Amino acid sequence: MTTLAAFAAALVLLGAPGKVDVIKATSLDGKPVEIQTAGKITAVIFISTQCPISNDYNERMKALYNEFSGKGVQFVFLNSNSTESSADAAEHARKNGFPFTVLKDINNVEADRFAAEFTPHVFVIGRNSEVIYRGAIDDSRPADKVTKTYLKDVLNAALEGKPLPYTETKAFGCTIKRVKKST
Amino acid sequence: MSKPVAAIFLLAASLVHGADLQPLDEAGYQRLLASAKGRVLVVNFWATWCAPCRKEMPELVALASKYRARGLQFVTVAIDEESDAPKAAEFVTKTKVPQPAYIKRFQNDEKFISMVDPKWSGGLPFTVVYDRAGKKVRVFPGEVDIRELEQVILKAL
Repeated sequence: MTTLAAFAAALVLLGAPGKVDVIKATSLDGKPVEIQTAGKITAVIFISTQCPISNDYNERMKALYNEFSGKGVQFVFLNSNSTESSADAAEHARKNGFPFTVLKDINNVEADRFAAEFTPHVFVIGRNSEVIYRGAIDDSRPADKVTKTYLKDVLNAALEGKPLPYTETKAFGCTIKRVKKST
Repeated sequence: MSKPVAAIFLLAASLVHGADLQPLDEAGYQRLLASAKGRVLVVNFWATWCAPCRKEMPELVALASKYRARGLQFVTVAIDEESDAPKAAEFVTKTKVPQPAYIKRFQNDEKFISMVDPKWSGGLPFTVVYDRAGKKVRVFPGEVDIRELEQVILKAL
């Protein structure tokens, strides 16, 4: 396979939702929000107020947001847990001094579409609206043991139009608590 | 390191880590699967930081006890960092989790997750059922439906 072909193949992840033109969610004060992805690099991060793993990444998420939003990356932080209310998410964002907006994914619609499974689970959408990366922020829950900065490296490569160093990674995290749907 | 010094070091380490949990690495997991052949094996991955894991554990332990005599082996693997090992050991003791119970000491979390199941992203809890031949017959991402798990176990037994 040529480098170009390998790069192209990596752009379309197996099991990923394919093209994501619009992300639909709800602001923490109850208003519908639509985020367009065309022409932008978008990082979608599923987070939790209660999950200790997600909370261990709060400072790292703030740092990533501060670094990359200035470079034109669009961030979407989604709370899909049915066990965590909008009020919980708002209080959590305030307590942790998040510089970014958190949105509520009511009925885990976006979590289902992305097949997001745990928190913090990350999806990067390229300028063509295709999901180009899904997985973890980095390779270690304790910040002082990180050896691979997956998300940072993917965002830098995407911004520079270079082949992605990672398209899918895995990490231990808290399962997203979905609403029970009748079959 | 001399043998007596190494022995003291290991003893101290076991005390710090909690005597009830055995460290498990990638090779250890393969040995565990091999040694369980002939029995139905249920492996539950959990962590002290995972509320649904702690919630479902008593039911899993009860199910394990119910079918042990018929050939069910129930194994737990705590996905906790070293600093939380005493807490994990305390939970295992309190919840009467069958021994040996394990704690992760994988070389590479990501590779381990894929080795257990290529479709597993790493979310906890996660439960795997192997039949008597050692073939993986079912995985339960997230909390198990205990009645569904029981049916899978009964079929495998």
